[in-house]
Order: sequence, then structure tokens, then C-alpha cells
Amino acid sequence: MVKLRSILTVSLFSLSSLLHAEELGKMWGTAEEEAKYYPIIDVPIPAHVPMRPGSFDFLPDGRLAVGTRRGDIYFVKGAMDAVPAPSYDLFATGQDEIFGLDWRDGALVTTQFGEVTRISDTNKDGKADRYDTLSNNWGYAEGHEFAFSSKHDPDGNVWVALGLSGSYKSHNLFRGWAVKVTPDGKMIPVCSGLRSPGGVGANAEGAMFAIESQGPWNGCCSLKHLKPGGFLGHPASYNWYPYAPGMKVPALEPQSRSRLQIEKKRIKELVPPVIRFPYIKMGRSISGFQLNQTGGKFGPFENQLFFGDYTLSLILRATTEKINGVWQGACYPFREGLSTGIMNVEFSPQGQLIAGGFTTNRQWPVRGTKPYAIQRIDWSGIVPFEVREINIREDGFMVHFTKPIDKSVAAGVGTYEVKTYTHIFQGAYGSPEVDQTDLKVLKAVPSEDGLSVRVYLDKLIEGHIHDFDFSSMKSRDGGKLLHTKAYYTVNEIPKK
Amino acid sequence: MLYQRTTNRFSHTALLVLGLVSTLFAHPIVPGLEASKISAELKGRVLIEEMNCVACHGSDSSFAKSSKKAPRLVDIGSRVNPSYLKSFILDPHGVKPGTTMPDTMAGMDDEEKGEVAEALTHFLLSQKKNDFALKVPDLVSANKGEKLFHSRGCVSCHSPRDAGGKETMVKSSAPLGDLAKKYSHKSLVTFLKDPHAVRPSGRMPRLDLPGGEVESIAEYLLRDTKVPGHLSYTLYRGKVWEGLGSDGVDAIRGGQIADFDQSRVGVKRGDYAVDYEGWIHILNSGEHTFYMEFNGGKFVLDGESLFDVSPSQRKRPRKFEKTVNLDAGWKKLKFTYYKTGPGAKLSLEWSGPKFKRGAIASAKLKVSDKPVVAFKRFEYDKGLAVSGRKHFAALGCASCHDDVEVDSGDYTPFSDLVGGKGCISKPVKLVGGRVKHPEFGFSDMQRDLISKALKPIEQKKLTSHEDIHKTLVSFNCVACHQRDGVGEISAERMDLFTGTHPELGDQGRLPPTLSHVGAKLKPEWLNKVLLEGKRQRPYMNVVMPHYGGENIGHLTKLFGEVDRLESVKLPKIESIKESKNAGYHMIGPKGFSCVACHNFNGDNSSGAGALDLAHITKSLKKNWFHLFMKNPSRFHATGIMPSFWPGGKSIRPDVLEGKPDLQIEALWAYLEDGVRAKKPEGLSRQSNDVRVFDKAEIVRGRGTVGFRGIGVGYPERINLAFDSEEMALRLLWKNEFASINHGSFRAKGGSRIAFPPGIPFYKMKTLDDNWPYKSKTSYAFPHNLGYQFRGYRLDDKQRPTFQYMYGEVAIDDFFEDVVKDGKGAIFKRTFSFQSPKAQDLFHFRVGVSDAIKKLSDDFYQVGGLKVRITSDHKGLIREGSPGDLLIPLRLPKGKSELTLEYQW
Repeated sequence: MVKLRSILTVSLFSLSSLLHAEELGKMWGTAEEEAKYYPIIDVPIPAHVPMRPGSFDFLPDGRLAVGTRRGDIYFVKGAMDAVPAPSYDLFATGQDEIFGLDWRDGALVTTQFGEVTRISDTNKDGKADRYDTLSNNWGYAEGHEFAFSSKHDPDGNVWVALGLSGSYKSHNLFRGWAVKVTPDGKMIPVCSGLRSPGGVGANAEGAMFAIESQGPWNGCCSLKHLKPGGFLGHPASYNWYPYAPGMKVPALEPQSRSRLQIEKKRIKELVPPVIRFPYIKMGRSISGFQLNQTGGKFGPFENQLFFGDYTLSLILRATTEKINGVWQGACYPFREGLSTGIMNVEFSPQGQLIAGGFTTNRQWPVRGTKPYAIQRIDWSGIVPFEVREINIREDGFMVHFTKPIDKSVAAGVGTYEVKTYTHIFQGAYGSPEVDQTDLKVLKAVPSEDGLSVRVYLDKLIEGHIHDFDFSSMKSRDGGKLLHTKAYYTVNEIPKK
Repeated sequence: MLYQRTTNRFSHTALLVLGLVSTLFAHPIVPGLEASKISAELKGRVLIEEMNCVACHGSDSSFAKSSKKAPRLVDIGSRVNPSYLKSFILDPHGVKPGTTMPDTMAGMDDEEKGEVAEALTHFLLSQKKNDFALKVPDLVSANKGEKLFHSRGCVSCHSPRDAGGKETMVKSSAPLGDLAKKYSHKSLVTFLKDPHAVRPSGRMPRLDLPGGEVESIAEYLLRDTKVPGHLSYTLYRGKVWEGLGSDGVDAIRGGQIADFDQSRVGVKRGDYAVDYEGWIHILNSGEHTFYMEFNGGKFVLDGESLFDVSPSQRKRPRKFEKTVNLDAGWKKLKFTYYKTGPGAKLSLEWSGPKFKRGAIASAKLKVSDKPVVAFKRFEYDKGLAVSGRKHFAALGCASCHDDVEVDSGDYTPFSDLVGGKGCISKPVKLVGGRVKHPEFGFSDMQRDLISKALKPIEQKKLTSHEDIHKTLVSFNCVACHQRDGVGEISAERMDLFTGTHPELGDQGRLPPTLSHVGAKLKPEWLNKVLLEGKRQRPYMNVVMPHYGGENIGHLTKLFGEVDRLESVKLPKIESIKESKNAGYHMIGPKGFSCVACHNFNGDNSSGAGALDLAHITKSLKKNWFHLFMKNPSRFHATGIMPSFWPGGKSIRPDVLEGKPDLQIEALWAYLEDGVRAKKPEGLSRQSNDVRVFDKAEIVRGRGTVGFRGIGVGYPERINLAFDSEEMALRLLWKNEFASINHGSFRAKGGSRIAFPPGIPFYKMKTLDDNWPYKSKTSYAFPHNLGYQFRGYRLDDKQRPTFQYMYGEVAIDDFFEDVVKDGKGAIFKRTFSFQSPKAQDLFHFRVGVSDAIKKLSDDFYQVGGLKVRITSDHKGLIREGSPGDLLIPLRLPKGKSELTLEYQW
């Protein structure tokens, strides 16, 4: 993650001169309206609890488990009450910055900097007394070498994304790789090419992803598919293939100042980012994310992914689909105005979204000013008028809405503005948006039920972000969209 | 002889000088005296002691010993600026009004005075070589020093100063004179760190402040020191583009600098700003052009702004040029440069009449348009030094400054002194005769007090009460502490006391009362406070200083004798365990919530951060604790502490049958376990210092022992760090455990024993093999040797058993902290091996050192560590530099053990 590079240890480069509190980017301006549908509720934290949340999970008894940077795990009772007045019980202490937490078979499987640890309370006194190391077989000997992990996959593995050394180089074993750790403590290397990942998780189909931050070989933050055998773009981690049984180093390295769509054709292992999040418009240091499978308790966005953003203190939303065997998808604004830098999110069994994190005193600017917070986003039960999901078609897109649209407005080609652009794929830091085009809407055909519209375009551009502006759209009852923007990353165009 | 020669010329100047003495000069100031409530007789006694009358007028009485000795002068050359020394000798009352140093040359004319002072200066500086030199003041540090000077307690005795440096409470303060003229930064810091080396009688106490604070205070007091140079500068860092006054900007340092070359600023990376000030020399009148290339800043010359570009972290450097007409002479220059933004750089050049474009040379720059004289080392003249030595004897200097080995003269014995005569006579009466005594500049009241005390001081023995009173006034304890019958903090100084926890009210900022202190504190603790500077109230900005055991050590006994309160009938405790347990519950949130306000064992309470309870049974007398707990307001009329037994009834009637005595006794019993008490519930965990109570504490992360370190603090106050990367013991230490910060930890405490990198067990091919360790590029190590860390489990005291694999051998590695008779706490280490089959020979490496010795069959010295092998194994010393101590192991199938003891 971009921000962690600078905040968590002494920065190697003076990146802070590029980013300042006054220039965090314009807010969407939708917070007040968002609050009608998705109010934010503070979960109070007592003064004596050093709470810098880095990961969450829910226990079978309904309590919220919170893993912290200080290396504690607290069990929080009452966080989901309408007006929360929670109590905090210290379950475990003394770990090394917890950025992964998942309860399984009577233990919390915890990912900290140096290892995956199964933490349990065998004498049932409420305090952990066993810290079983499942694996510590990756290198950890420099700053910024973060480790973030997923929930368990159906086979019981947790997937761990390992940040680069100092977030630029790979000096230690498997830095820049994703690995999975099996229930019996085996570590299996999965794919190379990560830079500074900040969260790992699966989509509804069970494919595993990591969120990646802007930086070298990363024009902006993006969601990356942890495809076994894949190479995810940053070549610093090529040197560990000899340590990965059965895997071969790619024959080619990416060329700098190129484009992803060119390099993916040169390098067969290269897996293009699933979703690119245009910088500042859609977050600037996206962190932990979770799949919404609350069965509708969180509103009309079932099976979608929800992401926290550290710098801008907001929540984003995304959908994925597999086209020609490659994952891609779209991202959408969801909720802004949280009160601290969001590190992670978690859905409660009751269908609320817990979001929490912290700011640091190392001058990395964060929009939310609280030093730390746990907040809860509830669905008020009122359906907002939103773009629910965008799917690609061979000659355009199918755009789904949460409420019926005004068909006459929706049928007008002037209702849609579609631009495209991409990033320079390069070893230098980040990228401006380049190769801009404006697409022409040829035709727009609303569905019978008014819940979607088929948009036909003059062309689709492979490798480009397709930037939609739906400001002119109206719902059947004359309402405006809560958020008018959406961004679809086209890696593949469906074959006709 | 000089004095005889000058006596005849005396009358005229003496009148003049002494006339001034009585009108302009402040009398000698003993800061606590005037406002104190002690008797006149005792006040006179204090004056006699503070003026050190007995130095000349010998006496065998007790006051001789407690009289204040004069400053030591042997090393004065390193301490005091020669020019100040001379001026002070010449005119002590003029140079330092309020000084207790008398004018010993009151009877001489100006010319002679000048000669004698010169000779004395040469003599004093001839005693020892010195390195006195002036330093450019750092005004940034001085600003910090200003706050410290006004908060740490300096202003309890010395006068606070306004922003301009003017003293605001001169009359009631121990005078300092013009310190910038007197001290160098080095000599003042040296003095402040140990004032008693120079002033052995301890009236100026030692504050034991951190070195950085002492340096800042010295910078503040000497901020007017003048040193020639080219440019003054102040360096700022942080978000300088937001303006130098904004929250995100810190002034880092200041001083002088040769020119505008940025390499001199000494900042390699990141944003900063420099504020330059000085004067630039214009040789010939005419047009001058300045060429500036920078990202932002403001350049003002002779009141005119030539360049003014607001700073931004976005702007790239741009070029500017400005031509102005300047007259010849020195022109004031002020330049603020912001090094921020992409490609930040500074280039500043000029051209003018008869010179071409180029950088501004330092020769053209000066810190002041007025001449600043550089300090010159003082070279003493041997002849003058010899003559000065004679004056030193003849003027009686040697009587007080008795570290200088010069014979002093004979003076009237103290017992023969008569009130109103000699030193304590009024100066006007001296006309017509040679001045035979030094002139102290006493006030009428002082003369009177001294006169009346002359007899009693020799004849009367002080009572314990009087002795306490006299000591508290002499050392000005009453500047900070109230005590019935002696004195209290003066109204004018009340607001100078501050604290870091305003919610504690006055108790958080004002030092505690000394009334009843002998009945309150245990003598051992009082000694620790008085003699070792132990403090229990970190939230107070003012610090309890040291006055020297020989000076005030007698107070402990006196307080014990004098202070008496009624005795409480202590209740009988049936079960100490039950009592302690009740105490534990009452301390916590479900009882009296003591820890809602009070800290405990260094851990902050959630609230006010009041006095740490873990130590109070060491400091308080139990009797007082009972009295206080029953009725706190009896001792602190305005205190915040509530009574938990209002009207004699407990607010927790369910505990120990609600009996107040039993409950208070239970709290005491629990607190008596001190830092090893069972950790109360409800304590804050916000502190970065991890403290051990009754159970072990664990910390993990980078720091003390690599990146995968695990630190363990044990209840017996010994600690270890284990490296889970190599599965090896890396560090042992004692006392304080560790501090943590976001996934890193650092060992605190002391008595460290470090072990070098390397795995614990290894199968060597030959005994000459190197012992393997993880190098930067041995990426798969130590897994490639069959090692795999498996975590740890905790016992009921939260002590870990580390678990790991070495090949097919499963190892449990447990450290137990045990107290061994006479040896303090040691570690017993037990390796439990579980092997599926008998293993070939391999070795355990105990330690590495240049100094390994076999002390007995099973006992080895490895550097500072002693190791005993307590299982049936033998040690093997491998010679080498360093050598190592190994233990050969041949594990059987199934379970086996290796046990060791570590003591250090």
C-alpha cells in the first residue's frame, strides 16, 4: 500500500512531498445523501485500550475480534447493538502487527509480519495460551515487509500477500509473492509480481485477489488476481522462482514505459489487474476488503466486494466477472466521511459493515482525523438509486441499477458519457492517465423491468479503464443517482 | 605595602563608594529568609551562616559546620570569563546586585582597585590551565530552555524573566547577574550538572535533569552571548510550505553560518526552511543586481523586499532577477529560504559596480553592523599573578575561598564580635579611617538580625524544631513546600508551578506539604528523596533537586523526631491471602476504582494519572496510610481524593464485612506486593513501556534481536529475547522489561548478556566446523537444516515454552525464572526432546566468548554468564577467538531432557 510505505517506517524516498493533507483530492460530496441509506455509527473505544485496528473477524458467539498493530487481539461484545456500548476483553497479546484474522476450528488464525499463527485458548479462561506457528517460512528482515492474509479458502488455506522489501526491492525470500499456508503448516508459493499489497480476499466465485497500491509498475491502486503460476506485474520478485518447487521464472521481464495490454501479450505469465481504481477519484491507498454475502441484509449489493481506503477514509465497491478466462470488473463509489484511515472491513452476521483503522503520527496525511476508530455502516433499509453493476458485452455494456430507471431518459444516447484511458506500465512510480479517448454511444436499450440498460458503443478498448458518467440518468420516480460514476477495466472483450 | 600607601587617599572615594553601597546596592539576598515565619533570632542565625562569618571569625560552635562555604576558585578559569571575573572582583554589588560576596576593596580608590582586581584576576587564572571559549547561542534550543527554566524549578529561587529577558522578581530571588558575560555554554552546563563541585554547601542544588534539558537551559541563560560571524540562521523542518508558524513545522536549531551555500545547512533529505539574518557590505554605491533561483522564499534587503515567492511543494525552481540602487555601507539582510518542491534548489548571486556576477562571499556578510569582539584567551602575567596572590591573602579572600591554598589572616574570634561593629556597622561611620572589613551591603534589618544573634548563636543549642526550621529556610525548601510554622510557596510564585496533568488540580503541580512529613514517610524513603533524588510525581514539571547528604541529610532524623500523629490500632488479619485478594478487588473497577485515577506500576490509569500506587507502601508509614485513607481531606484540604468510608461506613459493605480498618489494611496488604502485585483490572495499556506484574509479558517483532524476535519479561525481573527465525536465545537482561512501538520492541533494563547469531543445535562434520548462522543471502536458512518454528504455549504464569523442530526431533524449550539463595533470579532452562529414533551425535551451543572457563565439572563461565549443566551432560570448550561452549548430545529414541541454569 502506498501509504504504509511512508508511514510505518522511515521512508526511503521523500514521497511525502508529493502528497499532503491539503491535496487529498476533492471529496465526492455525497456523504450527506449517503447517510440516509448507509448511516455510520461509532463503536466507542475505552481510553485504556490501545486500539489500532488492522483486522477483524466475528466469533461464533457473535463477538467482534479485532487484531491490532500493537499485536493484541480484543474480543468486543456489543459492537453491533443499535447504540453500541461495547466491552473489550483482551484475548491475546504480544504479536507483531496483526493484518489477518479468521476464526476456524476453535482458534484464531492470525497473520502477523513474520508468520501465520493459530492462537487458541485451551484452558478456556478467556485468554489465549497457545500460539502455534503454522508457517514463518518467508523472508522477513527489512522494513515495509508487510504480510496481509485472506480468510480461509474452502480447503482451509489462508493466502498471504507479502510486500516488497522497503516496498521497492525484493531482498528476502518470497517478498512480492502471494503464498498460501495450509492447515498443517505447509507454505505453497502461488504467484509473483506484487508490490505492496494491503488486503487479500476471494470473490463470490472463490477466486482469490489482493489489493495493490500505486507505485512502480502500478499506475494506480488495483485489484489483482492471485492466479497460481501468475506474474502480477512487478518484476522485483523474479529471483524467488528457484525456491518455488515446480515453478519456472518467466522467460521475459516487462519493458518499462509500455502498456499492460502490450506486455501481457509478450509475457504469457502476466496477469493484468482485475480492476484499476483511478487515482484519487477512487481512493488512493485502498486497504482490506470483504465480500458481501449477507443475504441482502446490507442492501442491494449482494456478492460484491467492499474496500476500505486509508488516505481518503472511504469505502469503495466493486464487481468482478471472468471474460475469456481473465478476471476483470468495475468499481463504484460507496461511502465517504469515515473518521480515520480505514485499514480493514468486515461484514457482521447481522449484515453490517465494520470498518476501522488509524492514522499515524508520521505525517502521512489522512482525511479522517481520528487517531483510531472502529465504525459501523448499517443499511437503513432504504434502497438508494445506484448503478448496481456493469457487465461487459462484445459491443458495449449492460448496466444494472438498483431501482427502475426512467426508460425514456435511459434510451437517450446523450444520457451517457463514456471516456477511456489507461496508464503507462513502467518501473517509475505511478502513472498519469494516458491515451484518452471518448467513446460514442450508438444506442441505449432499457430492459423491460427498467432495472438495466444495454449500452452499445462504437468500440471497446482493450487495456483501458472505461470511465462512465451517468449524471443525466433518472429513476422512474424522477430521482437522481446517489453516485454517478463507475469505472470498468477492460482486460478482455467477449468474443462475438 | 600597598594598603598603607593608599590609606591616606581613602577618605574621599570611600565616602563616594560607600554612599552608593547604602543607596543603590541591593543587600545580600537569602531568598527564603524574609518571607519565612521563623523567629528573628533564627533569621539572624541563618544570615550568619549564609554570610559565612565564621570563615574569618573562627568559632567551635555548631553553626561553623553548617555555614555556607564560598564557591571553589581553583578551576575558575574554565568556568568564568576573565573579563567578568575582574569586573566582579572590582565591584561585586554593582555587577551582581544581591550577591553575598562582599566588596573587599571598599577602602581603595579607583586606580588602586583596578590594579588589585587585575592582579587578583591574573592570580586566579594562573592556578590551572583552562579552555574557556564562547559558543554561538542556539536560539532554538534557547526557546526550549526558556520553558524549562520557568517550569523545572529554577524560578523557585531565581527570578523568572519576561520575554525580553528582564528579571521580574529581583527582590525575592537569588541573584544571577549577567550570565552571558560570566559563563561559556560549556562551563555553565558543567556547573549545572554538578553545582556542588563548585558550591559544596548545596544552596544551589543539583537538578539531575536530562542532559538535553540542561543544555537548553544554558542556551537560554546565555542567549545574549555575542560571537562574531557572518550570518545568523534558524533551521526549520516539516511542512514548511504551510508557513514557519504552522503546526507541522518544528524549529530544529539555530546558530551562525558562513554563507548561503545549502551544503552548510547539513540536511541531506526532505523539506526544510532556513531563516537567515545578517548584514551585507556594499563597497561602492550604485546599481546592484541579485540573481535568485529557488522554489520559494523571501529576501529583504535594507527594508525592501527583493524576492517574495510563496513556498509550495508543487512549484519547481524558477529564476528571478532584481536590480536595486544601494549606497555604500552595511545593509540589513533577511532571507527565508524554503527547500521544498520538486527539484528544490537555491542559487543566489549578485553583481554590482566593479564586480562581476558571483555568489555572495562570506567576507561580505556579518551578523551585526556593530563590532563584535571575538573572545581572546587570557594570558596571565606571572608578576601580576604573584602580586595577586598576596592580595588574595591580605584582603581575606582566602578565608572563604579556602580551596585556594593561600594562608588567610587572623581576625577577631567570633566570640568577641560586638553587634553593630565591623562588617555589620553602617558604612557612613567609616569615614576617616582605613576600611578594615569587607563591605556586605547589609540592610538595616539584616544588621540588626545579625547583631542580635551574635551571642545566642554561640551559646544556645538548637532544638530539633529550630534545626528543621533553619535548614528549610537556608535551603529555601519553603520556596516549594509548605510547612506549618516555617513558610509556604509565595503568592507571586504560585502560578510558576505547572504540571502535565491539569486534571490533578493543585496536587498535580505543587510539591507536597512537609507538615507531618516525618509521620507520613518512612525514613528510608525520605533518605531516598533527599539523598538520591527519588521522585514519585512525574506529572509535576518542577523536580525535587539534590542538596547533598552532608548538607541536609540530618532532616530525615529530625522529621522523625518532631512529627507525631496519633497511632491507629491496626486490625488483626486472619488470612493474609484473603486480605490481599480483597485489596486486589477494591483497587479495581469493581471496588473503589483506585486505578481510575492512580497509575499502577508505571501503567497509566484511564483517567487522571495520579500517584503510582505500586510504590506507596515503600514510601508511606502504614499508620499514616490508615489515617489518610479514613479522611483524606484532613491532609489535603483541597485534594481530589474522595473518602471511601464517609462517616466511617464503607461504600463497599460486601467486602470484608464492610469494616473500614480491615478494608484499609487489605489495600495495604495488596499494595505491599508492589510491582509484583496481581495486575489490577482496568489499567490502561496505552503506554509503550511493557511492565511485568505477577505474570510474564511477551512482545514480538523487529528490534532487539532481529525481525522475528520474541521478548519475554518474567515476574522475577529477569528477561530474555528469543529469535524465532533461528530458534535461539539471543539476549538476557535484568530489571525493566521492554518498550514497544508498532511491531517493534526494545529491551530496557540492564546487565545484558548477548548471544551471537546462529542456530542452537548443529550436526558438525568435524569439531573445527564453523557454527552456521543466517546470513543476508542464506535465504532458506535455517529451514534447509531441518529447523521449523512451531510457536509457543503459555503456562499459568504466561511463561512460554518455545516449540520447534530440528529435523525429526521435536523440541520444547522452557525457561523458568527462579530465585536462588543469594544469587538473585536465575533462569532454569529445560529442553525436552522427542525423537522417533536414536539420533547421531550433534551439539548444542551454549554460548560464545573470548573468556570461557570451566569453573567445576558442571559449571562454566562464558563471558559475563555462568552456566550450570544440571542434567547428565558434559560441556565441551572449543578453543578459538572467540571460543564456544558446546554440549554434545546423543538423543535416545523417545523423550529426553537437557537442563541448564543461567546466572549473571
